[in-house]
Order: sequence, then structure tokens, then C-alpha cells
Amino acid sequence: MLTALSALALLFLLGPILLVVAIAFSSGDTVEFPPPGLSGKWFTKALAHQPFQDALITSALVAAGATALALLVGVPAALAIQRRRFRGRRAIEALFLSPAIVPELVLGFALFQQLMVTLRITALGALLIGHTVLLLPYAVRVTGASLAMADPALEEAGRGLGAGPLRTFLHITLPVMTPGIVSAAVLSFLTSFNNVPLSLLLNGPGVSTLPVEMLHYVEFSFDPVVAAVSTLLLVATVLVALVTERLVGFNKVFSK
Amino acid sequence: MTTPVVQLRAITREFSGSVAVDAIDLTVERGQFTALLGPSGCGKTTTLRMIAGFLPPSSGTILLDGEEATRLPPERRNIGMVFQSYALFPHLTVEKNVAFGLRMRGVPAAEIRTRVGEVLELVGLAHLARRKPKELSGGQQQRVALARAVAIRPSVLLLDEPLSNLDARLRVQMRQELLRVQRETGLTAILVTHDQEEALELADSMVILDRGRIVQQGPPREVFRAPATRFVAEFLGYENFLDLPGRGPITIRPEHVGVLAPGQKPPPGGEVVEGTVAAVRFRGTDVAVTATVGDRVLHAISTDDTLRAGEPVRLHLPLARAVPLAGDDGDARPATSKQQECPA
Repeated sequence: MLTALSALALLFLLGPILLVVAIAFSSGDTVEFPPPGLSGKWFTKALAHQPFQDALITSALVAAGATALALLVGVPAALAIQRRRFRGRRAIEALFLSPAIVPELVLGFALFQQLMVTLRITALGALLIGHTVLLLPYAVRVTGASLAMADPALEEAGRGLGAGPLRTFLHITLPVMTPGIVSAAVLSFLTSFNNVPLSLLLNGPGVSTLPVEMLHYVEFSFDPVVAAVSTLLLVATVLVALVTERLVGFNKVFSK
Repeated sequence: MTTPVVQLRAITREFSGSVAVDAIDLTVERGQFTALLGPSGCGKTTTLRMIAGFLPPSSGTILLDGEEATRLPPERRNIGMVFQSYALFPHLTVEKNVAFGLRMRGVPAAEIRTRVGEVLELVGLAHLARRKPKELSGGQQQRVALARAVAIRPSVLLLDEPLSNLDARLRVQMRQELLRVQRETGLTAILVTHDQEEALELADSMVILDRGRIVQQGPPREVFRAPATRFVAEFLGYENFLDLPGRGPITIRPEHVGVLAPGQKPPPGGEVVEGTVAAVRFRGTDVAVTATVGDRVLHAISTDDTLRAGEPVRLHLPLARAVPLAGDDGDARPATSKQQECPA
């Protein structure tokens, strides 16, 4: 019974994905299943499509930049929240996690108002800032989790053995946090890269991210190009996840 | 007479209004094994953390090797601490954990290798040098923590409930291991524990704390045989507290109270009382008997497994073994049998 349910759940999860992959290799001119024949022509077409190329670069830039910024703010914040006792610690933690609770469209609209309308920041700048805000909860949560799992006596042990505060941080705290930081970076990059609601609002002439560009594309054409792009993204994401798992044990961070 | 390794003078620590450690004076001589013993919340761990430098005292003075160290950060105190959780560095191998303190001191690489090898040999872990902490058993991790603390040749070895995370049998084995390492290295050690057996077995000097104060200190045999207050007596397993006319308050261990068989002649000396068995707890080799005598409850240990609750019983109280107690309150008399030098 349980096995049957699991199989059903798996079918629901994987079914649509497999469908997309199958359509990407179609030789037909429209999205149809089963595909009339096999070909790789949609991949060639997808890669040659200029708006996708530009959007890919924008997406990569925004994802990398926002991830770096979120970690730059989030790692020290996680350190303070996990290792210090100060008044308002809970409030600060809640503040850092709040972007994960606010609906992204609301967040996007607020940022659009403030950044692009009021402050006249460019679309790329707004995307960078918006995505940084979006990623902060991940950065704080995931690095925080790796710290919370570590014995708080570790730093004291370092001090007791003769390492001052700086050397204790470099030789003990930082290495202990590294798997968490790497996991947070990967998760953040993927989250930013796949984001639609924020990117939908924070775009401008000639500047939009890949998922938004894909959305625009399917509004006007119904050929399997988007399926091909989706398949490429899927492969890239799975590869990144596998490599991360190998390097630092991605799972450890989530299965506390 | 050499300088004491640790001297605490009127050390006090308050936490938001409440006093955790209350004006403690303590002297630890070189080579001595001192145990700070008491129930949780008595201030023993707080005291240890102040000696280590992890917690500044609210007032008072700490001298290490005769020098003022009250405000010295931990990295400049030359202390070797073994944590209750071991706090092994998870990203480093066993040998790198042990080498850490030496690396931080700028000891040359060749010497580090030799000394790490020696210390791992001492705790019997040389064959596991390349393992990571998480690949070791609890007992092995405990040894690594000890080796890491010993490797830096600290002025004083601080042990914060080091055996409490081990299962009961291993804990007993590790006591002797701990003692052997301390004797072989000749290190001065301070052990914090709530386990009276551990303190009795390991310490040259036992310091009993209650609510932030030292209530009694001295060699374990002395403290055990002559607890000064009811608090100390209860903590050390005395269960019978009597107020005899003309003798004042006394206490007597349950092991010393005899359960007399019907018709048995009591041994000479002491008193015989008659009562009813209230409860019998089976303990394997013997039984713990609780009996009511009038409005009083007495505890005895007996090998007679036929005793049953509700039956009449005669108990023999050998008053020669009774220990007179000072006033009931812990702070009535901070009795100290003068701390003695380690004879070993």
C-alpha cells in the first residue's frame, strides 16, 4: 500500500519532468506527446536564440552577484545569531527570515516601487538588490544550521589551546561553517536562477532573466524550444546538486 | 614549598542578580588532583570556567602559577581543558586535533610530530591518528580530548565532567585511565563532577560545593568518614539522620545499620530499635530496606532477601560508626579540614 502510494507520488513528481524532456527531443513543430519522431533540432535552435543568450548572461550575473552579496551579509548575521547573546536577537533573526514569508510578488512590487520608480536604479541593479533580499533567508538559515549543529564549545577549545579570537575564527569556526556556506551558495544560486515573480517585476528594456524570457517566449510560440531550454537547465541543476553532494554532503544541511 | 598552581581569592560570579559562585577561596598545589563536587547549580562548572578564562569573575582574584591572571584571556593561560562534549574539531584528524595547541604555540613541525606521537601513545590511540573524530567511539573521542589537553603541557588540566557522556561501565574504566595519565604526566588537575564515586576514586583533595560556596574540603577519606553537615552527608550517601538525646544530630550510613534475624543477638554496642519494613528494593547482591520506627524512617542494607514489606523488623544502630553533624544548615559552619599535600 505504502509502496503504491510512493510510486504514485513519484509519478506525480517526475511525470511532468519526463514529459518535458521527451518533448524537447521531438522532431515535430509543436508541443505534442508522444513526439512524432526524435531530433536534436530544438536544442540547436534554443542555443542560437539571441534573447535566450542575453537572458542567460543576465541570469548568471544576477545569480552570482546576489549569492555573493547574500552570503556577505548572511554569514556574519548567522554567526551573530548563533554564537552571541544580545537583546533583540530573535527579532533580528525573524527580520532576516521574513523575505521567505512575504509573497514574492508583494516583495517584487515593493522593490519595483522603491528601487526603480523612486530611486531610478537600473533594471540590473534592481534585480541584484531584489535577489539579494530574496536569498538572505537561505544564507542565514543554511549557514546558521551548520553552526547550530556544531558544538559551541569548539571555539572555547580553540581559545584554551592558545589560539586568539582571530585564529580561532580562521582555524575552527570558518572550516566548521564551510559545508554550510557552500550549500547556501549553491542553493542561493539555484533559487535566484530559477526565480520568476521578482524578476518579472524588476526588468527593463533589454534586461530580463532566462525564466522570464522563457515565459515571454511561450506567450507567442508553441514550439518545443522552451522544452529544450528546460531540459538543459534541468541537467545543469542536477549536475550542480550532485557535485555539491559529493563535496560537502548537501543532505546534511537539511536533515538536521 | 612551591607556588600553588591555582589560587582563587574571594572569587564571586553573579548572573543577572543571582550569585552562582560566592566568594570562593581555593588553593591547588602542584601535582595535586582536586575534585570540585556538588549537585548541578552549585557553581562548580562556573568556577572551572573562570579558572580557564572563559568567564570573567564579578569580583575576586585568580592567580595562576603565582601570577595575577584574573583578566587574562584563555589563550594566554596555558590551561588544558577537557570539555564535557569533548569539543573535538570535526574537520581535523585525531593527530591534527592533538597538534593544534602546539601549532598555535609555534612549536617546530618535527617536535610537534614527536610530541603528538608520544601523547597518542600515552592514551593508546596511536593507531587511530589519521581518523576523523566522528569515526571514533565515545571512549576514543574522550581519550583524544584528553590527549589534546595534555599535549600542550598545561600548568593545569581542567576536566569538566569528562566522563559523564560515557556509558556506566566505560565511565568506571576511564577513571583509572584518567588517573594514570595524570600520574604519568605529573600534571595538576581540577575535575568538576557531580559523581561522588568519581571524586572519591580520583581526587587527592575533594572540594564540596553547595549554592556557590565551599561547604567542606579535604582528602576524600577524611571527608567521606566525617561529613561536616547534613548536606555533605546526604550527598555522600548517608541516609539516616537522627537526633539522639545527649548526642545531638548524628548520621549513619545504611550499610552500617544491621538488620537482625528473629532471635539473633545484636552485636555489642549501639542500640536496637524495632519497627516495620516499609519497602525493600532488590539490588542484586543485597537489598535496600526502608523501615519505619515510630515516626522515623531508617534505611539499611541487608543480604537477607526474605524480608518483605509490612513485616516487623529489628534494626541495630552501631553508634560507634555514627558521625556527629554540625548545624543542619550548609552555611552554619564552613568546616574545612585543612587541605593536604598529595602524598604520592
